[in-house]
Amino acid sequence: MKAYALMVETFSRKGSVRFVHLCWLGIYAALFLIPMPPETWHWGQFLFAWSGCLLPLLLSEGIIGDDIASGRIRLIVTEPIRPVELYVYRLLGLSLQGAVHFLAVGVLVLLLHRLTGRGSVSHFAGFVLASWLIFNAWAALSTSLSVVLKRSNNSMLLFIVTVAVCFLLSLSIHFFPKSVGVNVVLPIVRYTCPPVELLANTALGKLDLLEGLGSVALSLLLVVLYGAAGVVLLGKREFKYVAD
Amino acid sequence: MSACNEATMGQGQSERVPVIECRGVTKVYPGAGKGRNTPVCALDDVSLRVAGGTIIGLIGPNGAGKTTFLSLVAGLIFPTRGSVRVCGHPARSLEARRSLGYIPESPVFLARYTARGILKHHAALHGLSRRAITDQADRLLAQLRMEEYADRAVGGFSLGMRQRLALGVALIDSPRLLLLDEPSNGLDPIGVIELRRILTEVRQSGATIIISSHRLGELERLTSDYVFLHQGRIVQFGGAEAAGRMERLQIEFLPGGPSVEEQTLAPYRALERSETKLAVAVGGVQDIPDVVNSLVKAGIRITGVALERPDVERTFVRLYEERAS
Repeated sequence: MKAYALMVETFSRKGSVRFVHLCWLGIYAALFLIPMPPETWHWGQFLFAWSGCLLPLLLSEGIIGDDIASGRIRLIVTEPIRPVELYVYRLLGLSLQGAVHFLAVGVLVLLLHRLTGRGSVSHFAGFVLASWLIFNAWAALSTSLSVVLKRSNNSMLLFIVTVAVCFLLSLSIHFFPKSVGVNVVLPIVRYTCPPVELLANTALGKLDLLEGLGSVALSLLLVVLYGAAGVVLLGKREFKYVAD
Repeated sequence: MSACNEATMGQGQSERVPVIECRGVTKVYPGAGKGRNTPVCALDDVSLRVAGGTIIGLIGPNGAGKTTFLSLVAGLIFPTRGSVRVCGHPARSLEARRSLGYIPESPVFLARYTARGILKHHAALHGLSRRAITDQADRLLAQLRMEEYADRAVGGFSLGMRQRLALGVALIDSPRLLLLDEPSNGLDPIGVIELRRILTEVRQSGATIIISSHRLGELERLTSDYVFLHQGRIVQFGGAEAAGRMERLQIEFLPGGPSVEEQTLAPYRALERSETKLAVAVGGVQDIPDVVNSLVKAGIRITGVALERPDVERTFVRLYEERAS
C-alpha cells in the first residue's frame, strides 16, 4: 500500500500534472494542423525532444522539490518511511506516468498521421522507447537536484546548463575537432549526462544491436546512479522549519 | 532558579527505556547568505530524559530553541553534538519514526486531497493493510469530530481545520510519543477544547506528549510539567510549583508605619513594595508565619495576607526577566 500510495500521489497530487499532460498532447494534435511534407517533420525526433527531454523537467518538481518548498516534507519524513522508499516509489510513479504518456502520444501521432499523412513516422517505435528512457534519466537527475536546490531553480538550471553545454560542445567540436580538451570532455558528457545522443542514434538505427543495448543499459544505469545520489542526499538533508 | 541544563521528566522516571533521551545535545545552524554569516547556537548542551505517559509543556521566548528541539527529536535535523534517542532508538531511525507522531507549526497538505484521503495516505505510509487504513481513517475522523468535512478537499480548510487534521495524521497507528509544535494555532475556542479532550485521551492511553506553545493558559490546563528553554539551554524544569519555586506572598498593611527594610524581611526577598502593599517571595505556606512575625515585630500593622501560587505565565515572565537581566 505504501508503494501504491506514493506512486498514485505523483499523478493525483496537483491538477497541474493532468493539465501539463493534456497540454503536451494538445501540442501534438495542434502541430498536425500545420501542412508539412514528410521530409521536414519527424514525429519520432519531436517526441524525443518535447516529451522525452522537456516534460520530465516540469513533472519532476512534484517528486521531492514541491514538498521541500512547501514544508510538507516535514510531515512525510516523520512517517516510518525510508528515504529510498520515498524516492524510488515516487520516481516509479513518474516513470509510469511517462509510460502512459508515451503510449497515448504514440497512438495519437500514428492515428493523426494515418488520417492526414503529415510528417514522417520513420523509426517512431524506437523513438517512443528512447523517449521513455531519456524521460526517466532527466526525471531522476532533476529530482536528485531538487533535494539540494530550490524548486524554482533546479529544472530551469538543468535546462540552461544543458543548453549551454550542448552549445559550447558543438562550437568546440566544430572549431577544434581534434583538441585534447574536446576529446576528454566529450566522453565524460556522453557517458555521465542523460544519453541523448546515444539513445537518439539507437532509435535511428545508427548503432548496431550491441551498441544499442549498451545505450539502453547506460540510460538505466544512469537512472540508478542519479537516483542513488538523490537518496543519499535525501537521507542527509535537514528539514528545518523555514521552508525553502 | 535552577540553572542546570539537564532534566528528567515524567512520572515513571525509573523506566528503563525513556521515551526521549537527549544527551549533551548541541545544535548550531551555520550562517548563510547576506548578513547571516554568524553561526547560531539554537541548542546548547541540552540533556533531557522523558519517561512515558506524561504531557510536557515546552516553553520559552521566541528563538529559545523549542522548534529546534522538537525537530531534533522528530529526526528532521541532526544534532551538531550529542545524541537523541526516541524509545531507545536513534532519532531519524525507522523504529523511532514508528514511535512518534509530529505536528509542525504550520502543517501543509496536498490541497486536492480530501481529509479522508490525507489520513488514508499517511496511514499507507505506515505500511498498514488496506483494511487497517480504512479503519484508522474512520476512527480518527470520528475522534477528531471531522466526519462532516471528511470528503472535502483540504485546500479549502482553515488553519484550525488543518491543525485538527494534522493531529489526526500524528495519531495514526497510536504513537508512543506525540510532538506538537503550536498545535492550537488557528483553533477557535471549541477547537481548543476539542484539542484538550483528545490530548487528555491520548495521555490516558499511555502516550507521552510534548507541546511547544505560547498559549500558557492552555498549557496549564493540560499539564503541570514544563521545560523552560532560554537561548538554547534548559533554565528550568519540573512541575509548575517546582518551576516557580518561590511563591508570592501579598501583604497589605496600614500606611504611616515604619518602612520595611531588607533586613526586616531577611532571608526573604521583597518583590514589590508600595506604601500599603508588599509582595514577598516565599517558599510556600510554611513561610507565612515567619514573614508575618518579622513584620509585626518591626511595627507593621498588617491588614491582609494572601499567598499567590505561581502559575506558568507568571513563572515564564519571572524566568524570562531573570534571564534577560
